[in-house]
Amino acid sequence: MSHQAAPDLWVDATSPLRALGRISTFAGRIAIRTVRPPWHGHLVLESLWTTTIRCVVPVIAVCAPFGMVMSLQGLEIFRIFGAQRLLSSLVSVAILRELAPVMASVLVAAQGGSSCTAELATMRIKEELDATEVMAVDSIQYHVVPRFLALTLACPLLYVAGAAAGIAGGFATAVWVKGETAGVYLSELWTLTGPADVWGGVAKTLIFGAIIGLVACYHGFHARGGAAGVGRAVNDTVVHSVVAFIIANYFLTSAFFGGQTL
Amino acid sequence: MSGLRTALASGTRQVGAFSWFVLDFTRAALRYGPPRGQVMREAWRIGIASLPILLTISAFVGTNLALQGFNAFRPLGGGRLVGMFVSLAGVRELAPMIAAAMVAAKAGTEMASQIAVMRIGEQVDALEVMAVNPYAYLVTPRLLGILLVLPALTIISIFFMVLSGYLVSVHQLGLNGSVFLHFASQGIAAVDFLYGALKAMYFGLVICTVSCFFGFTCQRGPEGVGQATNRAVVVSAVVCVCSNYFISEILYGGLS
Repeated sequence: MSHQAAPDLWVDATSPLRALGRISTFAGRIAIRTVRPPWHGHLVLESLWTTTIRCVVPVIAVCAPFGMVMSLQGLEIFRIFGAQRLLSSLVSVAILRELAPVMASVLVAAQGGSSCTAELATMRIKEELDATEVMAVDSIQYHVVPRFLALTLACPLLYVAGAAAGIAGGFATAVWVKGETAGVYLSELWTLTGPADVWGGVAKTLIFGAIIGLVACYHGFHARGGAAGVGRAVNDTVVHSVVAFIIANYFLTSAFFGGQTL
Repeated sequence: MSGLRTALASGTRQVGAFSWFVLDFTRAALRYGPPRGQVMREAWRIGIASLPILLTISAFVGTNLALQGFNAFRPLGGGRLVGMFVSLAGVRELAPMIAAAMVAAKAGTEMASQIAVMRIGEQVDALEVMAVNPYAYLVTPRLLGILLVLPALTIISIFFMVLSGYLVSVHQLGLNGSVFLHFASQGIAAVDFLYGALKAMYFGLVICTVSCFFGFTCQRGPEGVGQATNRAVVVSAVVCVCSNYFISEILYGGLS
């Protein structure tokens, strides 16, 4: 019995490694076709436009309440110390550096990434990708690369929108609900943060976007097994891309925003 | 402009359809019990499926809480307050939200795509033909399972978040461990765990009804399944985050 179970265990244990290898190969194929002509610029722009429009409402609808909750909980704490004027500095640090990049990317993965996977997987199931190949058009170059680039570029755009919404949400709660002074909130906004934090967030979200794009295109391109396979591919995309970029986030935060010891 | 109008109209129609779905489901759930043994099986499946990702995400959220809290408080001379920041933000807001988001992404999308595949395979109609109520048979066990499991996942997520925050503070940032723990326990009270569990149950209710709704109202074909799965996770995440503000306002805001 045991000599039969052993290979299965080996297969299970190495399957993440093999998946990693496959996804790296796929990333290499995408990278080569990104730099090699023919380029399909109009497809990239079209895809970028649809992705951004699709995601902008969910991103704002999630980031604004996060800013509001930050304000709510922060004020409770700062009132103990009588330090309400620090509220907006804390809100802008948390939103610009951490919450807006992560929440915007989570929503891009859930909305843009998963619909990209669904489109590619549907084309795979209906054999449209094979039809493209038959017509001597490179299916990765024509269908995958524009979607990958669109997700990569949409993430920073949506990060900026989400950060603005979060800071505005914090303002709404602090000033209109809790009765703090609007001038103090606005003047303390940039005491701890600067343009470097915004650029750090943009750099982070570019990397997150590339991770989402890669995972989404990989699962969509390799979907199989009918309608259920499409559902599975979409599910895997959301989960894998979120886990991957949250882990990457820790290292990026350490690198950009100084995890240096005292 | 007409695009906006059609979008608004279809959104309103979806809200109406969702209300009917909730009404039908409530009626069915009150009339017929769940199939025997299914509740525990669903609870087990939801919990086990979401646990590994939840632990990974919670651990890395905790590390970043510690890093950012340290960076934000150090200019003010409050590097020691990191523990308080991690425990407050983690226990009150982030752990329930993260657990809900991960269960929505993993178990919620699975519910939506399973029910959607059954819908387009006409298996749901087959259930009705056999005089089995599909809401009671498919939705009730999933709802009870998620209500059982999500509070537990939230508590586990809290512990992992604070633990990884502690490890980063002590080993990467070089803070004193006992100071961290002191301030961490100052920040929260036992009742915060109860509030976190209550939030989690509410989020579970939202995730399950929204995901099952999109599964039941799935369009034909493989693209329908993809769309249902996609909408399930986005809509349940947005509804959870938006209503989280009002729950926090009631629980912690004091409505002054």
